[in-house]
Amino acid sequence: MSNVRIEDGEGIMLERRAVPASLGKTAPGKKEGAGSIFLRRFLAIHDLLLDWYGIILLLVLWQLCPTLGWIDGRFFPPPSTILAEGVKLVLKGELPAHVLVSLQRTLLGLAAATAVGIPLGFVLGGWFPRAARFLDPLLNLLGQINAFSLFPLFVLFFGIGEIAKFCIIFWSCLWPILFTTISGVQGVDPTYVKLARSMGSNGATIFARVLFPGALPSIFTGLRLGATFAFLMLIAAEMIGASTGLGWLVHNSSVNYLIPRLFLAAVTIALLGMTLNHTLVLLERKLVRWRVRNETA
Amino acid sequence: MATHGDGTHKEDLKIVLKDIGQVYHLKKSADGSREFQALKDINLQVRAGEFVALVGPSGCGKSTLLDILAGLTRPSSGAVYIDGKEITGPALDRGIVLQGYALFPWRTVRRNVEFGLEIKKVPKSERRGISDHFIRLVGLEGFEEHYPHELSGGMKQRVAIARALAYDPEVLLMDEPFAAVDAQTRETLQDELLRIWDETKKTIIFVTHSIDEAVFLADRVAIFSSNPGTFREIVEVDLPRPRHNSDIRSSAEFGWVRHRIWELLQSRPSQECREGGNIVVKDAISPSATI
Ligand SMILES: Nc1ncnc2c1ncn2[C@@H]1O[C@H](COP(=O)(O)OP(=O)(O)O)[C@@H](O)[C@H]1O
Ligand SMILES: [Mg+2]
Repeated sequence: MSNVRIEDGEGIMLERRAVPASLGKTAPGKKEGAGSIFLRRFLAIHDLLLDWYGIILLLVLWQLCPTLGWIDGRFFPPPSTILAEGVKLVLKGELPAHVLVSLQRTLLGLAAATAVGIPLGFVLGGWFPRAARFLDPLLNLLGQINAFSLFPLFVLFFGIGEIAKFCIIFWSCLWPILFTTISGVQGVDPTYVKLARSMGSNGATIFARVLFPGALPSIFTGLRLGATFAFLMLIAAEMIGASTGLGWLVHNSSVNYLIPRLFLAAVTIALLGMTLNHTLVLLERKLVRWRVRNETA
Repeated sequence: MATHGDGTHKEDLKIVLKDIGQVYHLKKSADGSREFQALKDINLQVRAGEFVALVGPSGCGKSTLLDILAGLTRPSSGAVYIDGKEITGPALDRGIVLQGYALFPWRTVRRNVEFGLEIKKVPKSERRGISDHFIRLVGLEGFEEHYPHELSGGMKQRVAIARALAYDPEVLLMDEPFAAVDAQTRETLQDELLRIWDETKKTIIFVTHSIDEAVFLADRVAIFSSNPGTFREIVEVDLPRPRHNSDIRSSAEFGWVRHRIWELLQSRPSQECREGGNIVVKDAISPSATI
């Protein structure tokens, strides 16, 4: 890293980010006793696990309750049973197939909504701010309509095939992406545009180097909201109109009283949703590093 | 108009402002649109390498004039000539520095400084050397890879200056650049600006709220009156150079020039600042003059 200067009467100053003592490197040349090193290691592990203690506790309780007979294991199977079911379905190739189908549907809809929402948002927010204001109530109304409640309509138009499910995802993703793009563009400080213009930048340059990077953090928020919400919508849609996918797995298991499989599907959905969200967060950190650093500071 | 460009030859003139006027059409009340004359009869001739300060109460049209100079706004009447040619829009021969820094928060210090070079299509290999040079010039070496939010106000303004200098404009337009930093930082930045001006030989138009700052920095100070915004007088500042904040402020000449400008600004107080357009400005400028 570049050297950090702490300097001068002009008030150059850099706040040093507070590093948790347990994670900080030991200062060179400072001798430590064995006990202290052990304590540091312990604290480091403790720090890493901090977020997970709640989940670990829940898993242990969950395992104990049915095993000790406190609740009925047939309706509430312990994690070990669910895990065994999971291993079985993975080996048969069933679970990965369902995961893939659901994921593919989600990503396809997300990609299409991004491809429509971001350009449309830039056009409305950047070039036609009046139109954006005029359309705002209408767009808001449309955005409030739950995609799930439109599913019958989609089925009516497109049949119960892939297109209806695609529509659900597309609809759920489109509005958050569109709204956050519009507000992102309009939130870009006009002095940035003024400055770029003073250097003789043309419209394309201002878009690519000022408006787009300026709006990106906001766009990502919409992307993340849209993707996680759309995933849940899809699961619901798969429960009523599909023969594959995790939603179908839940529905099918419940109809057939396959309780461990039902739990397995539910847990997989939760994990997949988390992964989806997390992937987008990581992507966001990579692309809008400046902003994320600012916020976590 | 009463410019002091008496002895100067035509060839030395960098900037000529000729009869600049600016009218805004305000759509307001039921009686339809109203006109507001923001600038009127502005005439000024600036020699190459000269440092001219513009002072006046807020709302008198200083920023408007600077926007016209930058080519961002077309004047309603009159014209701006740079090197004898009328300007038609923004271009890389003029650089601007704004009060709010306007640093791109998603770019590091280096990439902010290189922004104009990218617009100018300078190849990447050359950009680095140039940005290195100007980052050093403003005393920020070591901070190349920092983001603006990691810098203090004074450092941000240095980056903004380096960014405006990097693509080598001949004219630097500065709109209250030091208004947002504390008094001590401000004096340091003033000293450094004079050093940089001396090293780079730019022509500088510097808008400020502070009489002290104007007198300290400039060769000439143009005093605005408002409603309509026009030059009341242009005062020659005959203080020796190089100037340093540490000694010059206590000198008798400094006090004298400062007082004269103060009197000019006071001479027809608040009544002329009455109800101008949508902003009503009454703040008289005090002689101690850090507003
Ligand atoms: N786009 C505009 N439309 C209408 N009035 C404006 C516009 N821009 C500036 N003005 C008016 O012009 C006057 C001068 O503004 P400005 O140049 O910003 O003053 P200063 O920089 O001296 O404080 C103000 O009264 C302001 O309200
Ligand atoms: Mg101003």
